[in-house]
Amino acid sequence: MSKKKKITTSTGVEVRHKPLGLRIWNNRGYYVMFLPVFIFILIMYYWPMLGIRYAFYDYKPVGAPTFVGLKHFYSMFKTDAFWSAFRNTLELSIMKLLITTFTAVIVSIFLNEMGNLFAKKTLQTIIYLPHFMSWAVVASIFSLFLSPSSTGLVNGMLRDWGILAPDAKGIYFLASTAWWRPIFYIINIWKETGWGTIIFLATLAGINPELYEAADIDGATRMQKMRFVTLPALSNTIITVLILNLAKVMNMFESVFVLYNNAVYSVSDVISTYIYRQTFAIALPNYGYSTAVGLFKSLVGCVLVLICNWASKKTRGRGIV
Amino acid sequence: MAKTAYRKPKKKVHVFDIVNYIVFILIGLLVLVPIWKVVVDSFNAVGVYQFRLWPEDFTLDGYKTIIHTQRLYRPFINSVITTVLGTFLGLLLSTLGGYVLIQFDMPGRNFFAYFLLFTMIFSGGMIPEYLVMKQLHLVNSMWILVVKHGMNVYNLVLMRNFFEGIPASLFEAAEIDGCSPMGIFFKIVLPLSKAALASIGLMFAVTVWNDYSTVKIYITNPDQVNFQYQLRNMIMDGDTPTTQYSVSQNTLFYAAIVCAILPFMALYPFLQKYFVKGVNIGAVKE
Repeated sequence: MSKKKKITTSTGVEVRHKPLGLRIWNNRGYYVMFLPVFIFILIMYYWPMLGIRYAFYDYKPVGAPTFVGLKHFYSMFKTDAFWSAFRNTLELSIMKLLITTFTAVIVSIFLNEMGNLFAKKTLQTIIYLPHFMSWAVVASIFSLFLSPSSTGLVNGMLRDWGILAPDAKGIYFLASTAWWRPIFYIINIWKETGWGTIIFLATLAGINPELYEAADIDGATRMQKMRFVTLPALSNTIITVLILNLAKVMNMFESVFVLYNNAVYSVSDVISTYIYRQTFAIALPNYGYSTAVGLFKSLVGCVLVLICNWASKKTRGRGIV
Repeated sequence: MAKTAYRKPKKKVHVFDIVNYIVFILIGLLVLVPIWKVVVDSFNAVGVYQFRLWPEDFTLDGYKTIIHTQRLYRPFINSVITTVLGTFLGLLLSTLGGYVLIQFDMPGRNFFAYFLLFTMIFSGGMIPEYLVMKQLHLVNSMWILVVKHGMNVYNLVLMRNFFEGIPASLFEAAEIDGCSPMGIFFKIVLPLSKAALASIGLMFAVTVWNDYSTVKIYITNPDQVNFQYQLRNMIMDGDTPTTQYSVSQNTLFYAAIVCAILPFMALYPFLQKYFVKGVNIGAVKE
């Protein structure tokens, strides 16, 4: 990795390397400093990896684990709920990624056109705001707004506008299989679009102004400049953002976890929420089975990271990890 | 003919600008209106679905209820404690680790780097982690939040990237003056990294404060939960604690939401540059 340094003693004699023991001794302070990090990593990350063996065991809260081989994997691949969760994970996170990236690109291109610096800064401050709200808070706010009760904002407005009859029952958006996904995407757009613009705005700030002058000379309109100068300049960043986030596709958890409920499992259940329910929400959990599902998730995630790392090296010359 | 060589298309600029401003005012309102409704309704004694600019029937009962109900203020205090300690531990571990990772002469440095990077590619998963935490007696204890978020490899790498930008000549000079690794760390590295410490510290603080799922997975004891958990449980799972106040459910819910977002909303306008910087240290490094 790092170039081998030539070490010169005070008398001018060049030595290739000090003896290893001496180098370790000279760096002793750094080893001591790394020790707490090392211990934490070992306990928090590597110790759980040993627990992966339970994927091949029957392990219930009571009684000792017994080895069962690949039984959990057979039953997992035969379970419809598992496949539905797997499909939902991919669909929800890829759709969410594409939609929020698209809105962030659009917003940053138009924000970049804003001449007034104060207005631009103020808007940036405002649209970054929702990113700092937790998923629990966002879910709480939207579930109150979308509630079918008399205080639900959206149903109330639908009645005012005559879309719903005044005495009709409100639409229970979050418990409807037709509405859950659109609502989920809208909430994601609301929460993450603004934050997503940061990276695009940083790229746009780096565009050479001569490009715009040249376009002016060629008589390009504002729209043409946005289409033929601004957007191409963003293409690399867009690809980077997509690659970085594609690696995290399997990690989707909290955003779904706070918003879903048992009426909409078919469209909302993702792998992580499935693991959670199989372990903590049933009377007699088998840790072996949920570990097996978790192992499947980790392996797919690992493959995705490696693919994205490879793609990232190809497109921009450096990896993501 | 030659006159047409360069002219700015003036008329179109005006129309475009006006439309652009209108669109962005709408976007700004789309973000702010939900937040403003939450704030107004938290002061409003009657629950209405309409959007109001000001509360119709002003009341502080929602907040009073939170301050006086143990099931509500206890989680808030837990959130504050875990956030402060989690941020402190997180900064400690990520600065130590980041600093050691730029010691290119140190034997084993590459091993340490791969030791850390591997955890970003592969993990044991939710259940093995749970079983380990159970053995460590961290289940049903709010310290899980501190321990779980205190070690964050991604933030450690961000810290390392920042330290790499400090000129090596500063370290060499200090070493020649007889400064120990610890001395260099405290006297040179940390004072030069205030901006990075602020951004990464904020990232830790936001993560710990906002965490819901860790609490949901690990903690069932109502004395140990954090505010986010209590909030969502109350609003979405109908687990409203009994209080001696006769406060409308709506007012209480919205007041609780305001409490959950208040700390960062209050800090945010002043610290925005640090919040944003964290993204740029990591992502835009061409």
